[in-house]
Amino acid sequence: MATTTLERTNTDSLIGRRIPKLDAPDKASGRTRYLHDINIPGQLHAKILRSSQVHARIVSIDVEAARRVPGVHAVITAADVPWQRPIGVTKDHLPLKSDIVRSRRDEIAAVAADTVEAADEALRLIRVTYEPLPVVATSAEALAPGAPLLHGEDLRAPGRGGALEVVHPASKDNVAMVHEYRQGDVAQGERDSAVVVEDVFWLHYVTHCCMGVSGVIAEFDPSGNLLLYSNTQVPFLHKREFAELLGIDPGRIRIIQPPIGGGFGSKLDIYPFEPIAIFLAKLTRRPVKLVFSREEEFIASPTRQPVLLKLRSGCDSAGRLTFRSVETLHDNGAYTSWGATTPFVMMQTISSLYRVPHCHYRTRAVYTNNPYAGSFRGYGNLQATFAVEAHMDKLADALGMDPLEFRLQNAQDPGETTPQGMHFRSCGFKDCLRTAAERSDYRAKRRANLAHWNDGNPIKRGIGIASMLHVGGGAKMYPSDGCGTIIKLDDFAKVTLITGASEIGQGSETVLAQLTCEELGLPIDAVTVVNNDTAITPWDVGVHASRTTFIGGNSAIGAARKAKRKILEAAAPTAGLAADELDLHGGSIVVKATGERVQDLGKFLRSLHFAEKADLVMTTYYYEPPSVHLDRQYRGDVSAAYSWATQVAEVEVDTETGVVRLLKITAAHDVGRVLNRLGIEGQIEGGIVMGQGYALTEDLLVEGGVIKNPNFRDYKLITAPEVPDVDVSFIETFDGEGPQGAKGVGEAPAICIAAAVANAIYNATGTRIYALPFTPEKVYRALRGKSTAPTWPESAA
Amino acid sequence: MTEIRDYVAPRSLADALRVLASGPATVLAGGTDLMPQSRAGRVRFAPTLLNVQGIDELRGVARDPGGVQIGALTTITSLLEDPLIRDRAPVLRTACDHFASSQIRNAATLGGNICNASPAGDTLVPLLVLGASVVLASAGPEGIVKRRLPLAEFLVGPGRTARRTDELLVAVQAPLPPAGWVDRYLKFGARPALDISAIALAVGGTLREGRLEDARIAFGAVAPTAIRASEAERVLSEGPLDRARIDRAVEAADATIRPISDVRASDWYRRELVHNLLRRVLNDVCDA
Ligand SMILES: Cc1cc2nc3c(=O)[nH]c(=O)nc-3n(C[C@H](O)[C@H](O)[C@H](O)COP(=O)(O)OP(=O)(O)OC[C@H]3O[C@@H](n4cnc5c(N)ncnc54)[C@H](O)[C@@H]3O)c2cc1C
Repeated sequence: MATTTLERTNTDSLIGRRIPKLDAPDKASGRTRYLHDINIPGQLHAKILRSSQVHARIVSIDVEAARRVPGVHAVITAADVPWQRPIGVTKDHLPLKSDIVRSRRDEIAAVAADTVEAADEALRLIRVTYEPLPVVATSAEALAPGAPLLHGEDLRAPGRGGALEVVHPASKDNVAMVHEYRQGDVAQGERDSAVVVEDVFWLHYVTHCCMGVSGVIAEFDPSGNLLLYSNTQVPFLHKREFAELLGIDPGRIRIIQPPIGGGFGSKLDIYPFEPIAIFLAKLTRRPVKLVFSREEEFIASPTRQPVLLKLRSGCDSAGRLTFRSVETLHDNGAYTSWGATTPFVMMQTISSLYRVPHCHYRTRAVYTNNPYAGSFRGYGNLQATFAVEAHMDKLADALGMDPLEFRLQNAQDPGETTPQGMHFRSCGFKDCLRTAAERSDYRAKRRANLAHWNDGNPIKRGIGIASMLHVGGGAKMYPSDGCGTIIKLDDFAKVTLITGASEIGQGSETVLAQLTCEELGLPIDAVTVVNNDTAITPWDVGVHASRTTFIGGNSAIGAARKAKRKILEAAAPTAGLAADELDLHGGSIVVKATGERVQDLGKFLRSLHFAEKADLVMTTYYYEPPSVHLDRQYRGDVSAAYSWATQVAEVEVDTETGVVRLLKITAAHDVGRVLNRLGIEGQIEGGIVMGQGYALTEDLLVEGGVIKNPNFRDYKLITAPEVPDVDVSFIETFDGEGPQGAKGVGEAPAICIAAAVANAIYNATGTRIYALPFTPEKVYRALRGKSTAPTWPESAA
Repeated sequence: MTEIRDYVAPRSLADALRVLASGPATVLAGGTDLMPQSRAGRVRFAPTLLNVQGIDELRGVARDPGGVQIGALTTITSLLEDPLIRDRAPVLRTACDHFASSQIRNAATLGGNICNASPAGDTLVPLLVLGASVVLASAGPEGIVKRRLPLAEFLVGPGRTARRTDELLVAVQAPLPPAGWVDRYLKFGARPALDISAIALAVGGTLREGRLEDARIAFGAVAPTAIRASEAERVLSEGPLDRARIDRAVEAADATIRPISDVRASDWYRRELVHNLLRRVLNDVCDA
């Protein structure tokens, strides 16, 4: 009932099977060579000196003693690289700071030495004197009248010709970015409402915690071409950006991606350590390797975007949503990275997860002296969904309606185009809602739990539901959202799949191999995937937006179909049949209608190769999804498909300690179609655990710009005994554009866990908590009425 | 870069004590506290690093006339698997079960946990309830000199003990509880594994005709050291164990503890946890 399966004529189809990840044996046996394991002959080790102050003017930097440390080849500060250019989404950030430090992560100097120890010793000997400046610790403080301006002066850097130019103009008010979207007329929505609720939510700091910490190796050849070993998720975009940074032709940059020890969005931007390693390589003419320590990873890699969010929602007496009005303050941190652009995703959830006629959405991303936020699996959607789904429960409650019924009544249907312009060609939302609710027995359990609110037992049970909408067919944010593939078949019918799509542990390599083999009628072990070198692979926009299976998959299928057509057309004359009467199956060319074997594929390829008119089978394909860019009003069908999910959380709350235990997640995901069942289960289970950490334990404590817990002892990831029971159903809607009908699911499973847990805690205790995470003390305080809910600051009125 | 000049790894206790007598040395056992603390810059190494892991006589659990003797180098894993501890001092076994993770338990020693003297050290609370003493050895003119000190006196402050720099902790000695003994251990942290206690508590005593005789209560992470709550113990020992007495014991415990606020919990919350969890544990004993 929950899982639909397609009737298959071809019983040995690879689609829907449980296929172990191709890279699993190497990873499980410790053979994988990550960036950390790569050492280039003659390489130097680099280390960065970071600011000891949160906000200060640099008075002086003395590197003399550091330069004298034996084994040290270079000690650099901003003065040594007067040609450095800014990085970041708004180019407000120089890799090495010369005058002002704006956060504790700020890079002041860097060392390259023969050994890590010598580099460390040199760092210790660098003397920096500071003149402290007032610290802006929250976005509310940043907006207060008279607040210090963090980017109040023009940022200048040398342009192409070498002359100084303004690269980031002075900002007058600490507002780094504004996003505003409207549909309909919110005032009308208010008038149409029987019930209106308004709350302020605080979505906290968390960070990616990739097991592989950040790192890079930079090397110039004698002609000045740059080779980077990098963990980037967007090699082709970064090739261009590094070129701009260095003022060289992008064609002179080659990026090799060793296996990446986790990305989750953290590697979508260029961070100062990368240009710094490049500067050191340039100045020392040696390969330079820079790898973070774990503490540095906590301090100097990006965070998920923290958000203060005010939501006002209404519905009429029949339970139809009337309007939604959202205002957010995004704590941007000291510099602008992708976090400031999360509104692109947030407003989709606000406007289009459920049908809402009138909407207003506004975000101000505000500079503070805090760590800066980047992109992180879900990209703002965890934050938006948390607020929206709390209000779905509150509105239903106010009407005395069943929360599931209320959601079903407002849920999107297939075929719909939302006022924001998203067109849902496939949409299994209502099936997700019904399936997750039925399999968890949501209605009955919810009512039963309510009856225990005042029974004297300190241990309470709760159940909560939440859903999500996310792009599932790429997201057209760049001029192209495409991916290229090259396929070659050798003389023995072995395939090399050369794809632009990066593997960051999500299993794309395996699924792309599978899609290719499915077209060519070959077993999965017939394929080698090459996906890690910009000098070899065709262009791809990068691994983000849950796009790789969809975009990279369609691209691989395109190239494989071209190869297949070429083979069948060449085989047709000898077979005495038309090309479309033939097929590839089980490593042979067969008669399509009967399955009768015509010739072994390897043998045929050899005969093609060694014939008089010799030829090889090599094909290329570039897939560009049929999506469009958002217009100025943020309208447009940005993705070729959209994914849906409902997750039901069951919790146990100990009201004498505040401990919330997540017992079970019942999830139903509209994934279009299951391609690799093992892979998709892993992806969903992993996402659920990441969402669980966001909801319950992970909390990057930032106080006055200082991270209080930059270690795994006090930053608490979920451990094995906490992982809940997971029941996943796949809703297969067979998306018309998707590869074999599939849609992207990379981000989906992490998105609505926190929202479902919040609703479950309410169902258990009658207490609603508006700030994440639900750590024991926070929950206990809320249960005892000893906590203060987040409020909207006066300075942001 | 450290200031360590000599590394010594003796095979006998006598050799180790000679090293300690001859000048400042840092003792290294499992290293699970020492290494992270030194990397974080919180401890400085003495010129000599004394690795005691080779001294086999400091390992193992044995009965002795006073009850049980546990060698300082006994790992948490060995304690967890020891039949004598399991049968006669289950409170210590339970604490070991909640200790860190398998990997850490394999390396961490009992002596290291005690000498590290963290207010949140997980073995300290059950050992206090068992009435344990520590045995310290040093080199004397006529050979090895040993002294015994109740654990409660050995623990002086956070990270501070009554150990002289020429002494090695060689063993822990505890009487084995009598028949009718009941005990409980409860560790409270933000997650069930790999966590430092926000608070920990242990209760022990002999249940006889509705009374908890010779009642013992100990807490971790609510004072500068792990502590016994003697006033609460007295309240419990005075009469039958019932809800009213439990409430009074909780009040008495509240007056004993001195919790602080840190990244793990606020002082207010630690007090609330002590109230609610001590009450819960005592109710559980009462209902048993
Ligand atoms: C990831 C992790 C999780 C942890 N979780 C817990 C936990 O859940 N509960 C808990 O209580 N602790 C925990 N710890 C702390 C630590 O593991 C324990 O305190 C452990 O018992 C220390 O023993 P060790 O043998 O490793 O000591 P070491 O690190 O070798 O030594 C600790 C200190 O004691 C001194 N010392 C050691 N042995 C002797 C001796 N025989 N005589 C004199 N001085 C000596 C050393 O000089 C040092 O100062 C954890 C540590 C880590 C890294």
